[in-house]
Amino acid sequence: MFFNSFAFAIFLPIVFILYWFVFNKNKTTQNTLLIIASYYFYSCWDWRFLFLLVFSTFLDYYTGIRIEKSRKDSGRKFWFWLSIGINLGFLGMFKYYNFFANSFAELMQGFGLKASPFLLDVVLPVGISFYTFHGLSYVIDIYYKRIKAEYNFVDYSLFVSYFPLLVAGPIERATHLLPEIKEKRSFDYEQAKAGVYQMLWGLFKKVVIADTCATYANAIFDNYHSMNSLSLILGAVYFAFQIYGDFSGYSDMALGMSKLFGLELLRNFNYPYFSRDIAEFWRRWHISLSSWFRDYLYIPLGGSKGGLWMKIRNTFIIFLVSGFWHGANWTYVVWGGINALYFLPLLLRKSNRNNMDVIVLDRSWESVKVLANILLTFALSCVAWVFFRAKTIADAVLYLKQIVTNGHFTSQYLANERYNYELLIMVLLFVVVEWNNRTKEEPISGKCQTIKLALCLAAIMVLGTYSDYKEFIYFQF
Amino acid sequence: MKQFLGFTIKTIIITVVLAILLDYCYTSVYLQSNNRNKIEYVYNSKARNYDVVILGSSRANNHFVSEMFEQKGLKTFNYGMSGGHLFEADLMLKLMLERKYKIKTVILEADLNLCNEHQAEGVAAKYLPYFYVSETVRKHFENEDDFKELYYIPFYRYIKYETKIGFREMFFSMIHKKSKLLDNGGYYSLGTTKGNMKNNIISLNPLAHNKYYEEIKQLCKANNINFIAVMTPMCENVVGMDYFDKVKKSYPEIYNYENVVLEDKYFSSCGHMNNAGARIFTTRIINDFFSK
Repeated sequence: MFFNSFAFAIFLPIVFILYWFVFNKNKTTQNTLLIIASYYFYSCWDWRFLFLLVFSTFLDYYTGIRIEKSRKDSGRKFWFWLSIGINLGFLGMFKYYNFFANSFAELMQGFGLKASPFLLDVVLPVGISFYTFHGLSYVIDIYYKRIKAEYNFVDYSLFVSYFPLLVAGPIERATHLLPEIKEKRSFDYEQAKAGVYQMLWGLFKKVVIADTCATYANAIFDNYHSMNSLSLILGAVYFAFQIYGDFSGYSDMALGMSKLFGLELLRNFNYPYFSRDIAEFWRRWHISLSSWFRDYLYIPLGGSKGGLWMKIRNTFIIFLVSGFWHGANWTYVVWGGINALYFLPLLLRKSNRNNMDVIVLDRSWESVKVLANILLTFALSCVAWVFFRAKTIADAVLYLKQIVTNGHFTSQYLANERYNYELLIMVLLFVVVEWNNRTKEEPISGKCQTIKLALCLAAIMVLGTYSDYKEFIYFQF
Repeated sequence: MKQFLGFTIKTIIITVVLAILLDYCYTSVYLQSNNRNKIEYVYNSKARNYDVVILGSSRANNHFVSEMFEQKGLKTFNYGMSGGHLFEADLMLKLMLERKYKIKTVILEADLNLCNEHQAEGVAAKYLPYFYVSETVRKHFENEDDFKELYYIPFYRYIKYETKIGFREMFFSMIHKKSKLLDNGGYYSLGTTKGNMKNNIISLNPLAHNKYYEEIKQLCKANNINFIAVMTPMCENVVGMDYFDKVKKSYPEIYNYENVVLEDKYFSSCGHMNNAGARIFTTRIINDFFSK
């Protein structure tokens, strides 16, 4: 059941009505309904993996309590590592086992040895990377005594399995979401309206921007051998907007629908393509994952305390792990590595925290420089996206090589029966709308709401791509 | 909550009004257009006179060279549609007759398309703008599974088939951008670039009484149109070639021309001849049926 499916359009209003009109006695009834709805939502993907979700929930709930109750340090460590081990074990088994087995076999072949690895015939449980990280952060926070263990199983279950964030995040923190879950929610009109606006804007980003860009990006990436330089550059740009529209659209829908239930989730995107350097980009892109790695990997590794080399080492580690988190493929690892390399000059110049202020453009030379930096950062991210999108590292390298060597910048007719440049106007319009609304979460609220709402609805109906249906990219992670 | 209910109702009303308005605008544009595809070329036309009208799928569209019929003094148009089934060919003929076309002969490509009575969604979608304004179109679609959604939900048809009749196509229709589909008397020649030169049709079986084939036959009979049904050539590398014998058995009146062009050099893909092959085939058809 996708957020942009007909089934979900039935499911959400039913849950909303039950939540505010039938199960509104207290927070326990509200939470119970949301858990039932969440488990139903998850079972629509594959009911068998519901047991995994329930087991994972119970494991972290129980180990959290045991860590807190253990009087001896050894006991605390035991329960802590048990939880970490099982959580990462599941993730490793379902997501990475086959990858490592195949990579090992290829390595052996490189040495002239034949290896026939035993491969698992399993599909990746949807959302496993996300709910595992929910559970991990909870257990780690208890271990380091940042939070108290949650004794109410219903509340904890909802924290892990809340359906808007269950399959593709944002990755919530117990410190943020649990306190909200533990309060009875009362209906707030302004919050709910903002939620609807954010959902619609998310839907616009998915069906108009992401899915339309996808048809072009696919046509170019799948036939990159026969594409000229202009098509290849546009292919990378279209993919950049595809993945942004897809994932930030999903996040907007998740945040928006959560507002309908009176729960505010962590913001996941903050107009990343308007970043002035790559450090700022990562403060604006998939914020919940970046901050997760910062708090649970980068800082425990020593962060920036151990001098420059320690900082560089830790930066490379979190980017490589972050790349690997996205999927069991070397292309993601390289993508992470490239981003780490982009970070290097900033670390050496100690300028990675330079652009923390709000972007302001005026008619000064400084603004020209800012604009140039934004374009450069976007171009760098596009180069990295080529590795993220390509099937293999060799494909990505050839793709980039052909951009440089081909040298033709003419229009080309693509496999999707469109010219390569046709989508540019829509993408540019989208950028203008985002730029003008970069201080808000979505562009519909504010002045002339009704007109903007109508325009957004019309755009979804008129410009959306529906016949070539695409799943959300991040569901596979 | 009352405020939110009001807001929700307002949003739903905006959506419905937009859907109705957009539906009206799109339909109006399509009703003015007649140079984008063969369906609107017929729908938005008045009586035309033809000696020969060709109907069928891409195997008609790419195989009958209209120009060669014209050279024989036969006013001809190739209305074959790539990807089309007999469902669409039948409706095309109905619309022609509704518009008082005077047709002497209909040549129907009837071979692989005899094995189903489904609509070819990509092609049938082009008829959908006329749902509300044409009784003939509406009736033709009435028994289709998705008829109710497409008919009763405004603008749904333009969303569902957005690649065929969505914004881009509507925009080109609005600015009267001509397509190539109507050039060369409707014949679309294929080049020598080789596509798939193998084909497996072993699982195909012609229906004993294809509803739309029979309807086309009946319409021709009722309107005194000479009806010629033919099977057109396929390359040699086909598994299940006895399909054509099965067609002949069920429909003895269909002429089997499957084997009049054999060599691979005359094919662009296994089921589609290139221009040279189409010309050999068309010569044979003209000689056999129009040489007197």
